[in-house]
Amino acid sequence: MATLSAAFASWKPAASFINQTKGLTYRAKVASIGTSRLNFPSSRSSRLHIRCAAKPEIVNKVLEIVKRQLALSNETSLAPESKFSEIGADSLDTVEIVMCLEEEFSISIDEDNSQNINTIQDAADLIDQLVQQKTEVA
Amino acid sequence: MLQLPSNLVARRLVPFALPSLPSAPLPSPREAHLWCVKPDELKDASLLQEYMKILSPCEKENVLSVKGEVLQKCALLSRVLVRTTLARCLWIEGLSSGCLFHARLDTDYRINPRSFKFKKNRFGKPEVEWQHNDVGFLPSLQFNVSHTSSLIACGITVNDPIGIDVEEKQRRPNANVLSLASRYFSPPEVQYLKSLVDSDSQKIEFIKLWTLKEAYVKALGRGFSGAPFRKFTIRFETRGDLVSEKLKTGEFRIAVEPVSDHETLTANWHFALAEITGSHFAAICMGIDENDTGKEHDLLKLKVWKTLPYMEDECLSDSEAVIKISGLS
Repeated sequence: MATLSAAFASWKPAASFINQTKGLTYRAKVASIGTSRLNFPSSRSSRLHIRCAAKPEIVNKVLEIVKRQLALSNETSLAPESKFSEIGADSLDTVEIVMCLEEEFSISIDEDNSQNINTIQDAADLIDQLVQQKTEVA
Repeated sequence: MLQLPSNLVARRLVPFALPSLPSAPLPSPREAHLWCVKPDELKDASLLQEYMKILSPCEKENVLSVKGEVLQKCALLSRVLVRTTLARCLWIEGLSSGCLFHARLDTDYRINPRSFKFKKNRFGKPEVEWQHNDVGFLPSLQFNVSHTSSLIACGITVNDPIGIDVEEKQRRPNANVLSLASRYFSPPEVQYLKSLVDSDSQKIEFIKLWTLKEAYVKALGRGFSGAPFRKFTIRFETRGDLVSEKLKTGEFRIAVEPVSDHETLTANWHFALAEITGSHFAAICMGIDENDTGKEHDLLKLKVWKTLPYMEDECLSDSEAVIKISGLS
């Protein structure tokens, strides 16, 4: 996972995201930094996305969808940090999961975005970001 | 520590050492060799431990990081299969002890499976990292691996880039296949699936298309962003020149057609599709040098083995265990 560095220009709290129960959610201004990812499928041309942690309900929904797709029993430990590559999801599982998530959250996940998804948490973070963007546009 | 699947037979009391690896022929031009392992056939805990010794330290670490006994066993078998498949074809007769290869050789002048080094191309595709001594002496073996929980396969060729994908015949996506196809496949492929009358045929053809598309992307070796599924079409074309009873069983040529003049998508790739042990589809894609104008220039050759490395090899080619579906002579 890439570390936050002083490379991004500035960040400030966005008042519209103040959540009474969960406190402030900070929106970071993202700097485009060319960086290579080490993981599947690798690509040299990805941008560094700095995302804040997604809401727990999104994480839980992603966990639920992944468990269902991979037919994992309730005893199987699946954590937000679990990597898709380590839980037995093959490429067909992955696209089914992505499609499920798109339908569940009414968003569109393109190939560039999905390349940066390595863990359940990554997926939830991206969904959160896409949902927020949708809300902003509307 | 390697998690030993709980259903494995207890460790042998007698120390266990691997016998020597039987050799295998090199693939001929336009030929792919497919070596398959069924993880369920591995029941011996001692054998698992011996297999771990074949891996590089990095590979061991990767295997141990996989969660769950079954997945860990598959990860281990995958690396063992690659290393042993490559080593089988590489043995050199009559070399003197002063030979450069000496340090890498087992007895009988075979390359030791442990001795291979691997690297990834700039898009992440695994390749053999030939040692500088090898160049000019050893054939340039190309390989690709695919796995399902019930079968792991490694395809090899000499020189030709290869991509393979295996999938259980019975695999049925949870999602509606037409929705999946509309989302991920090219429009002609969606039309092809829609033209099929019953939904089970649609699911089976979806799986076949999926494996062929995967094999192509893996053969290209540019990662999924380098060849998005929507941007190329796999076509089944009848061979107008084929006049034999094969045509009655629906022999088709499989071809790939880029959707547009995408410069990274090239069309000199050849495909084959076969059914293995009645349980799996195997799709193979090879990049053939267009200067090769063989007589049957459209068809590939395939030889298939089932193996439990060091323990048992069984040639499946020319038996009922391998059913050629398309693209194979």
